Amino acid sequence: MTWRYKLVLFAVTFAFILVILRLFYWQVVRASDLSAMGQAQYGSTVKIMPERGNIETSDGFPIAASKISYLVFADPKQIPDKNLAVNSLTGLLNVDPSTLSAELSLDRYWVPLKDNVDIPTKQKIEGLNLPGIGFSQQYQRYYPEASMAAQLLGFVGKDAQGNDKGYFGLEGYYDRLLQGKEGVATQILDAFGRPILTRVNGTSGATDGDNLILNINRSIQFLVEKKLKEGIKKYGAVSGMVGIMDPKTGNILAMASYPNFDPRDYQNYSEDLYKNPFISDLYEPGSTFKPIVMSAALNENLITPQTTCPICSGPVPVGGYLIHTWDDKYFPNTTMIQVIQHSDNTGMVFVAQKLGVDRMISALNSFGIGSNTGIDLQGEVSSPLKPNDQWYPVDLATTGFGQGISVTPIELLDAIGAIANGGKRMEPHVVAAVQSPDGSVIKIAPKVVDQPISPQTAKVMTEIMVNAVNNGEAAWTRLKGYRIAGKTGTASIPIAGHYDPTQTIASFIGFAPADNPKFVMLVILNKPSAAIYGSETAAPIFFDIAKDLLAYYGIPPSQ
Amino acid sequence: MKKPALLILFLLTVILLLSVVRIYISNQIATSGVVLGDLEQKTEQLKIDNSELAQKVYAYSSLTNVAAKAYDLGYTDQTSDYVLSNQVPVAIRQ
Repeated sequence: MTWRYKLVLFAVTFAFILVILRLFYWQVVRASDLSAMGQAQYGSTVKIMPERGNIETSDGFPIAASKISYLVFADPKQIPDKNLAVNSLTGLLNVDPSTLSAELSLDRYWVPLKDNVDIPTKQKIEGLNLPGIGFSQQYQRYYPEASMAAQLLGFVGKDAQGNDKGYFGLEGYYDRLLQGKEGVATQILDAFGRPILTRVNGTSGATDGDNLILNINRSIQFLVEKKLKEGIKKYGAVSGMVGIMDPKTGNILAMASYPNFDPRDYQNYSEDLYKNPFISDLYEPGSTFKPIVMSAALNENLITPQTTCPICSGPVPVGGYLIHTWDDKYFPNTTMIQVIQHSDNTGMVFVAQKLGVDRMISALNSFGIGSNTGIDLQGEVSSPLKPNDQWYPVDLATTGFGQGISVTPIELLDAIGAIANGGKRMEPHVVAAVQSPDGSVIKIAPKVVDQPISPQTAKVMTEIMVNAVNNGEAAWTRLKGYRIAGKTGTASIPIAGHYDPTQTIASFIGFAPADNPKFVMLVILNKPSAAIYGSETAAPIFFDIAKDLLAYYGIPPSQ
Repeated sequence: MKKPALLILFLLTVILLLSVVRIYISNQIATSGVVLGDLEQKTEQLKIDNSELAQKVYAYSSLTNVAAKAYDLGYTDQTSDYVLSNQVPVAIRQ
């Protein structure tokens, strides 16, 4: 081989290597940049928002759904007569002419004019045949039952990037499931780099949100909201709430509070109304708490229903305080059955002292007092119990009758639900199932959280509560013929280190039918003015709702 | 020399035939894009119509609306229930 031949071979090989290296640089190293440049010449990517999932009641009716609406946008460079466009659009879009004029004067290819424009308005604008005006489809949340279950649902607002985001209630708790996954599409550009209006191609990756199927029964929810509103008006209360749960499964059948807000128009309501007071408001439960403490003592065999109270003949001195009964009437040697029937505070002091601090804390923990119930709603709070060494004798005594301890209504409903369910405490759940866009359904199974009392104790406590309904302060309003277990509550409101003697939180909690409960219900009225007692305000509302519920379930009287 | 000429002629004929077939097929499907576009638009319109109709159904069947209509028609709440507490025999054997 001659040296000239070798030189040519080397030169050709070297040239090939150079070409390969250059190709590697463009096709591997700079591949993504070039791809992006090519894409930018052809079109620009736009986000495709998925359809937010529906929230449906147990009968399949959507109480929160998404409807098609449009974002109206303009390419100011394609609008020859801007005055005509402003005059034509200002009325239809309900936008100030000066704002519209300013938008159309911008030196841009794309200017948003108004979002959430409904279909008839879009059709009217299309009929004007204005050049340079386009539409982008989007989804808008709407609520066919208006403000029904507003605090339970929450609402859909915007996040920092201007995207839809659920806040409070179910919209907040299940936001990631409901919102789905956004996709991308290409907005095609012309040779001058201007977007071609209405041509969006290559949609990919968008997945619609999942539907939530609730345990909420629409008929019961509607009934409860109506009765609650009437009750608040009748008894002159500041506010009120009702929660109904199936004690055997923990399914929340209805949850209402008033005043509430309209989720379509949430901006025009006070932020205080956004949160659901049934899971977010702490209060001292008063006498509705007594069945919990009593059943804990019964379960520990410290007392029996026939045990007599040796300290109930007058006010009881505890830790420098004198504890009275609510009506200053005293029943010497009263039995535990009568303690609940008369809602006797001194009797409950006796029971609490029998329990002692350690067993009291253990029982309350087991009933779920002092911790979140785990309900699937955003905004649940709880007030943890004090450590053992911080309990003074008076704390133990007042906890016996539900003062000096703070709970949320859902905590109390869940705890009493355990008595109704043979001692098993269930995790409360609003959502029954999640349905994905392909139609597959994932059911949420009932979950037993704890067993604070035995089935025998639950049965005994149920009988004590049935007696309280039949012979107690609320006997005048009870449903005759039905065995209903319940307890009234009239809790004082702590203000500035003492209790307000004129204002109360009146409540009633109970379940029916006592022998095979279909529901456990808690009714709370905040500061009723017509009467301050639970037996005269919350109890009538409870029995009014219970009457319709028993008829709804087709349960005849047992007596 | 005759065989290669025949082969070339055969190949040219095949090419010609395939070209004709291709032109025919292209001609047939040339307007399919328009049809597809129309179908896409129709699908989109049906989705919109479906959404509008669903809204109407929800509005009419909402309990809020039904209750208001019932009230307008003069319906009132049932005040008492009638319950058959004992089972009534269908026939009594004499």
